[in-house]
Amino acid sequence: MSASIEIAGVSKVYDGGVRAVDAVAMDIRQGEFFSLLGPSGCGKTTTLRMIAGFETPSSGAIRVDGADITHVPAHKRDMGMVFQNYALFPHRTVAENVAFGLRMRGLDKATIAAKVKAALAMVELSGLEDRRPAQLSGGQQQRVALARAIVIAPRVLLCDEPLGALDKKLRQQMQFELKQLQKKLGLTLVFVTHDQEEALAMSDRIAVMNGGRVEQVGTPTEIYNQPTTRFVADFIGDTNIFRGERTAAGRSLDVGKGLILALPPTDAHGTGVLSVALRPEKIRIAPRTDAATTAGSSAHGIVENTNFLGGAVLYRVTLEGGHRVLVQQPNAGTSRLFVPGNGVTLEWTPADLVVLKD
Amino acid sequence: MQTTASPSLTAVQQAASARTPGPIRPYGRYLYLALNIAILIFLLAPIAIVVVFALNPTPFIQFPPVGVSLRWFEKFFASRDFMHALGFSLEVAVLTTLSATVLGASAALALARGNLPGTRLIVATMLSPLMLPAILTGLALFQTYVLLDVGRPTWGLVAGHTLVTLPYVVRTTLAVLHNFDTRLEEAAQNLGASPVRTFFEVTLPLIKPGVLAGAIFAFIVSFDQFPVSLFLVSPGNETLPVTLFNYLKFDLDGTIGAASVVSIVLAFVVVIGLDRTVGLRSYVKL
Repeated sequence: MSASIEIAGVSKVYDGGVRAVDAVAMDIRQGEFFSLLGPSGCGKTTTLRMIAGFETPSSGAIRVDGADITHVPAHKRDMGMVFQNYALFPHRTVAENVAFGLRMRGLDKATIAAKVKAALAMVELSGLEDRRPAQLSGGQQQRVALARAIVIAPRVLLCDEPLGALDKKLRQQMQFELKQLQKKLGLTLVFVTHDQEEALAMSDRIAVMNGGRVEQVGTPTEIYNQPTTRFVADFIGDTNIFRGERTAAGRSLDVGKGLILALPPTDAHGTGVLSVALRPEKIRIAPRTDAATTAGSSAHGIVENTNFLGGAVLYRVTLEGGHRVLVQQPNAGTSRLFVPGNGVTLEWTPADLVVLKD
Repeated sequence: MQTTASPSLTAVQQAASARTPGPIRPYGRYLYLALNIAILIFLLAPIAIVVVFALNPTPFIQFPPVGVSLRWFEKFFASRDFMHALGFSLEVAVLTTLSATVLGASAALALARGNLPGTRLIVATMLSPLMLPAILTGLALFQTYVLLDVGRPTWGLVAGHTLVTLPYVVRTTLAVLHNFDTRLEEAAQNLGASPVRTFFEVTLPLIKPGVLAGAIFAFIVSFDQFPVSLFLVSPGNETLPVTLFNYLKFDLDGTIGAASVVSIVLAFVVVIGLDRTVGLRSYVKL
């Protein structure tokens, strides 16, 4: 039966005083696909290793279904794990690798054989029972590692960048299969990745980590549409970030070089310095008109760079004051592309601006 | 006596080197072959001479040999002293192999895994018997035993042999541990294996080639050991090399050659036996 995990104020400080994980708190729900996303060195792998029991927190507690497991040794935690390099036992066959966890649980031979067979069938590796890991392709090794971890019916499945070594096509296929399997088995799955597209595509919820801390926890749409910190806005997808001072009225932001942005109506209208983010696809682009721009929600500029992405076109536009802005336009198939040097007018809705914490 | 060590050691080395053929151009192949044959002749010649000596019926070294006879073997196997020495040597070698392998492999694991302070110093100390003339090690142990007033027990001899064979096991085990992926142990624990179970299920099978190579070295070095034994054996309970040395002082006949041939054969039997039982060959491939 899948379990929930509660990480309560967990820190990990190494001997040199390095805080790899700093007061991390999150609740992972039962049956949830939960990703830890961040750049290398952000503490995501250390957090996962503490859940698995390979590292002990310096402070804080980890609870599974409410029971404190902070100091329970790894082999008594009943969690499956898929390692980055798969960590298959090279001296054992595929079937023996998958049977390992069942053998440790003292099951009888017939039960083990039946479960191994079913697990290998589930990952579509039937017939390869007697191969050694070294005789398998990367994708096959990945499946063996997955079968080995789920055959023990773990309370939680932990994955440490399991798809990192696969090429793009295979990676997408495995993403799909892993997600299917997770839903089918109702697994609580904690997934570590530095690939934001992967996290957005697969997760029910994501914790974005940076410098040992959790920046934001939310669903993929929340993380993308309403980033709360500058780091999250910058790390997830392309974005335009402006930093400036509120004007006297508090309703708009003076970001310098003659550009004033109207703040969204939801903003608290205070004073002081503020950062805002605006996604490239929230900006509309049109041929330059002679009409004056609407203060706060449009600007004139010149296309500097055109990047055709297939489904969309990404423009880099230099505004009249000198700000450089990314603009993404869906490729409708009919519209003529702007080329570098074209004069354009950009327009956006103030409500699409996201106010960030620094 | 050292001649018996060389064929077995080269056999291991060749097995290792044969698996890693370098990029050799066609005309270089002949040079490569010739060089290897020359090295083999150089290594095997002393053994050939010993075998000729053992089979030659005349009681002194003579070339070319005048015939073939087994009389020296007969004399060797009929001698109560030699047979006792052979049995004792085997006993000491087996005990030494066991203690050196267990101690050396454990030490290597601790050195590779534990965050011990001064690891390099400890490794250097453990390997130092290799650099010290064995005769000094023997003398030092002899003086220590006299000082402690323990006499010359068999365990004292085994301890001395363990001291000089330990470096081989430590070295070969450290070498395999150097490339060991500790995530394999984590995977085992994650799947429910206790630390002890993890050691026997995953760690030991994977470091076995190194431990085994060390054990073979330990057996052969102990079985051939002369300088350390010379100081530590008690009269009437001597190892084969010491008995041969004493015999040589008064007689020089083919019995010495016959004893050497028996030693060589025994060393081969040990290597092949280990290969067959624990599968050395399958690991050399890795």
